[in-house]
Amino acid sequence: MGMQGDFFQLLKEQGYQFGTGPLGPGGQTLPESEITRGTTILAVKYHDGVLIAGDRRATAGNMVMYDRTDKVLELDRYSVMAIAGVPATAYEMARVLEHSFKYYRRTQLQELSFEGKLRALSKLLKENVPAALAGTGAVAPLFGGYDVDQEAAKIYFYDILGAEFEGVEYAVSGSGSPMIRGILHYVNTWGQKPLNAQSEEEAVVQALRLLTSAAEFDSATGGINREANLYPVIKLITKNGVMTIPDDRLKSLFEEQVVRNV
Amino acid sequence: MYEEPYKWVEAVGNRRHYLDEQFRRGSPVVAASYADGIVLVTYARGTPKLYEIYDRLALGGMGHPADLERLRFTLLEMAHVEGFNRSPSDVTGSRLLKNGLAPIVKQAFEEIYKAPFIVKILLAELGVKAGRDTFLTMNYDGTFEELTGCAVLAASASAQSSMRAWLKQHGHFNQESLSQVLSICLLAWGVGSLAQREEEQAGTDSGRTASVSVTADVLPPIPERDVVLRHIRQAATDMSVECAILARTVSGPSKYRALKPNELPDLLSLDLNPAANG
Repeated sequence: MGMQGDFFQLLKEQGYQFGTGPLGPGGQTLPESEITRGTTILAVKYHDGVLIAGDRRATAGNMVMYDRTDKVLELDRYSVMAIAGVPATAYEMARVLEHSFKYYRRTQLQELSFEGKLRALSKLLKENVPAALAGTGAVAPLFGGYDVDQEAAKIYFYDILGAEFEGVEYAVSGSGSPMIRGILHYVNTWGQKPLNAQSEEEAVVQALRLLTSAAEFDSATGGINREANLYPVIKLITKNGVMTIPDDRLKSLFEEQVVRNV
Repeated sequence: MYEEPYKWVEAVGNRRHYLDEQFRRGSPVVAASYADGIVLVTYARGTPKLYEIYDRLALGGMGHPADLERLRFTLLEMAHVEGFNRSPSDVTGSRLLKNGLAPIVKQAFEEIYKAPFIVKILLAELGVKAGRDTFLTMNYDGTFEELTGCAVLAASASAQSSMRAWLKQHGHFNQESLSQVLSICLLAWGVGSLAQREEEQAGTDSGRTASVSVTADVLPPIPERDVVLRHIRQAATDMSVECAILARTVSGPSKYRALKPNELPDLLSLDLNPAANG
């Protein structure tokens, strides 16, 4: 399989099994309160590319497990996956994809196409269907990337069974996403300018406001905690690759353009 | 035919002779540390000889392209499975070569009913800090050597010794800029290539029992810079420079970058510059 550059197949040949596999008849599922999940992630097109962002909270039932989770994961220089759902499965998916893209590039001496990267994520989600149905491994990610061949930034979102949808201007996922989906539709349709005409700064400020709004109504979405210097993870994907907005810049933009309205 | 021990030894000796002949017209490979990383350089005729193996690992090879490809895939598989199952920091050149590749190559070399690998390997590993870079070279019989500062591959032990002597005389590794070390490495390539050509012309068998672990006792005289430059210019008429770096300054986990032909004129000194020399 090495000749085809398929890392996932290579792992399988070595005995690796992805996901938890199907549970038997009458098999046990974990109680809802035991499974870590809940989040808000979003991807929005702006003038120079795609912004992709996520809050930092991980919850299990009513319990806040961790408030510094990184749910926006860089897979390679031109693609990012934001995760919603069960983090254990989502992080494993990200690790498989990161290695798959590197392995393909190094074996085949060329980058995997944008469509190939999307297909790789779809394939993992399909492999994960039994765990998703059992409730122990449901993941609904967002994929943002720059298609170097077509010179265009693109957004895709997935359901937990692996169906792939192109989010033309924006996509959201996670427990807090219904709160901001309507806002994005409103801004894109009746706002001063469409989302894809926004500047980088406008897009970043909008992402901070959206995540703050989601945290206002969804307990599983972590807000911004200035005392603890806790800000969301926001990445930009342009023709120059992936760039993470540093906390210092998020702090100053939050204080200048977001905090007065909270 | 080979059931008697002495015949086996004779067969292995013949195989060594055969393999040495295969490398005679190969293009040497040079790798050396500079302040921000490692540079690998060679001259190639179409088929690439420098490759990315893992985040901090690069490969240089001499020999048959198909054999190099097979071993490259073996290295890639081992590195990526290990990096996935454990962690990228557990993928080291030393483990890959000593535990993974060398036994395979040695076995193929000694199984005289099967074809050996016509290949010599150089693995360069970028350290987290300057001064921690390591180099490994492996001969076609599976013998390997671990080095610091610089490493070379050439057809014979004496050509390799001449190249190393040149590098040690002219290089202050870990301190120089990419541009400085690149020029030194290209000249070292010229020293090795010239030595190989002279060996071939003289029809000597000085390199026929070569192994990377063997250092020639008496070094052939190192040629003058002008002679080396003339040889490089001649070589450049039907080959082109292939150059790659592993640089601590490259952002992200993957530190390997192949230099594009249009980047070289700015890095090479005037007398080595293909653009300046037509």
